Amino acid sequence: MIADTLVQTYKVSFDDNNQEFALSGSLRPERGAEMEACIRLLETSIASIRGTFYINVKRLVRLNNVAFHALAGALLKAADERPDVKISIITSSVIGWSTKKFGTLTAKNPRIVVEEYDSEFYPGQSFLEEGGFVPVLRTQTKLTWKHERSILPRHGLTPGVTMADICCGIGDFAVLVAKEFAPSRIVALDHSKSSLAYARQVASEFDIGGIEYIYGDAAEMLLEDGQFDFVSCRHALQIFNKPEMIVSELVRICKPGGRVYVSNEKISQCLGEPRGPSIQWTYEQLSKLFADFDMDLEFGPKSYQALQKAGLEDIRIESFMVTNRDGDAQAFADMVMAWEEMFAGGMCEKRGDDAAFVEKFRRGFEDHIAAALHPGGYAGWPVWVASGRKPL
Amino acid sequence: MDLGAASTGAGEYAELLEFDMDMDGFASNWAYCDRVSTYFARMISHNRSDSLLYSNLFSSALNELLETVYRLHAPSGRFVCSVARKAASERIVLTVPVDARTAEFYRGAVRVLNEGDVASRYHNALFTDGPLQPNIGLLELAVDYAARFSIEPADGNAIRLIADLKLEESDA
Repeated sequence: MIADTLVQTYKVSFDDNNQEFALSGSLRPERGAEMEACIRLLETSIASIRGTFYINVKRLVRLNNVAFHALAGALLKAADERPDVKISIITSSVIGWSTKKFGTLTAKNPRIVVEEYDSEFYPGQSFLEEGGFVPVLRTQTKLTWKHERSILPRHGLTPGVTMADICCGIGDFAVLVAKEFAPSRIVALDHSKSSLAYARQVASEFDIGGIEYIYGDAAEMLLEDGQFDFVSCRHALQIFNKPEMIVSELVRICKPGGRVYVSNEKISQCLGEPRGPSIQWTYEQLSKLFADFDMDLEFGPKSYQALQKAGLEDIRIESFMVTNRDGDAQAFADMVMAWEEMFAGGMCEKRGDDAAFVEKFRRGFEDHIAAALHPGGYAGWPVWVASGRKPL
Repeated sequence: MDLGAASTGAGEYAELLEFDMDMDGFASNWAYCDRVSTYFARMISHNRSDSLLYSNLFSSALNELLETVYRLHAPSGRFVCSVARKAASERIVLTVPVDARTAEFYRGAVRVLNEGDVASRYHNALFTDGPLQPNIGLLELAVDYAARFSIEPADGNAIRLIADLKLEESDA
């Protein structure tokens, strides 16, 4: 039956520091008069600002015409009365209807503009999401899966659970989990439309149904609270500049009693022999390179504290080493080769590194590849996994 | 209220979900519009390419139809809402008990929707100074959701309002 919990109310607030009026939730009143308090706050907010007045509707999921009519009337009136003010409405394409709906206001008054913020999603990561990186992501998942498939049950993944894989990338982890653990539901979310398109194509080609690939921002998800028994987020906290925002969202969508599972690297600990010192130098530099782009590839061991701070209990952490001795030395070498191109190529160029640095930087990757393929060599890439239970 | 799968008479469309309820029961609580549209949206969206986006769009569209019915119906009779699917299209069929006034409203509204110039009618209606026009939801569906409407008589004093929607344009 239709539960009362399906009904969501809305939240309205004004942040005078940012001159931002924010509406979120579900706004479907029967009569315009029910909007009175909201409209009054809107009017007093506009009266108090100078310059640009921001209206944030990124998380306004539902809005009926009764509410829009009331809001539109107040905004057009304000725009007429305050010709010195620009009104900027921030929408999200994740919602679907809002950009078009609020866009009708621009036709009535050009000083009311609508901006879809999704195009600004994590611009610093763009070089990690270009098409050329897809093969290395697949190889990485293939290599880590050899370890994680036996680790995951220790962190609470069992058949039949409802699961969300946040920052799913190209979706290959979700596919492997679907095959191995048969969850009753998998939602896989990412902010890269090209990665999701690839994920859907792979799922379709391999006739894998039942995975819901969703576009969205991991730091501001529209998924409802407490839906999932198991929430995973792999190799992603380390490339966001505010990982605590994402952890908070992972916890929010997890059911009480369910578990949040994260995996991250400590890239400076990549190792190999022979030529250990050269390899070590390059990976230490790689860590610094990412830090210059506000990404923390040393996050792995910090996962414990991140989950603890988020209020989780029964936290478990362990690490594993992906190596050339796991059974596919060539795959390991291919992965490092792709890293070299991506990091010594694109990222060093963006940072403006000189040729001598890039040459030495590349040499460490090449030595790592040589160690992986050497008959007596050993090459490793360490990964930390951690999980915690959401209190009941 | 009954929820279940039933024949929609939708031809090539495959039935997905149907609910029926006494009209006076449905019209006793405004929140039913939101609850029913949200529930339906969730249930039918999971196998669309982006289930969350699809659910938001479908809920918005269905809610406007339900709000229209909430305001315009005969006092008694059976209200039926069903959803059927054919590939990328969804068909919403609302069987609404009507009297002479409300029957004329629905017939007139569908006539207007098929006359053209719907976008300007919709935009004028959105920004009208007075109360909202009762057909605003239908206009919105026709303009923002490219819905195609038809209407036919149903058993008893009722009409069947049919809206065909295609909310998913691509996989991206």
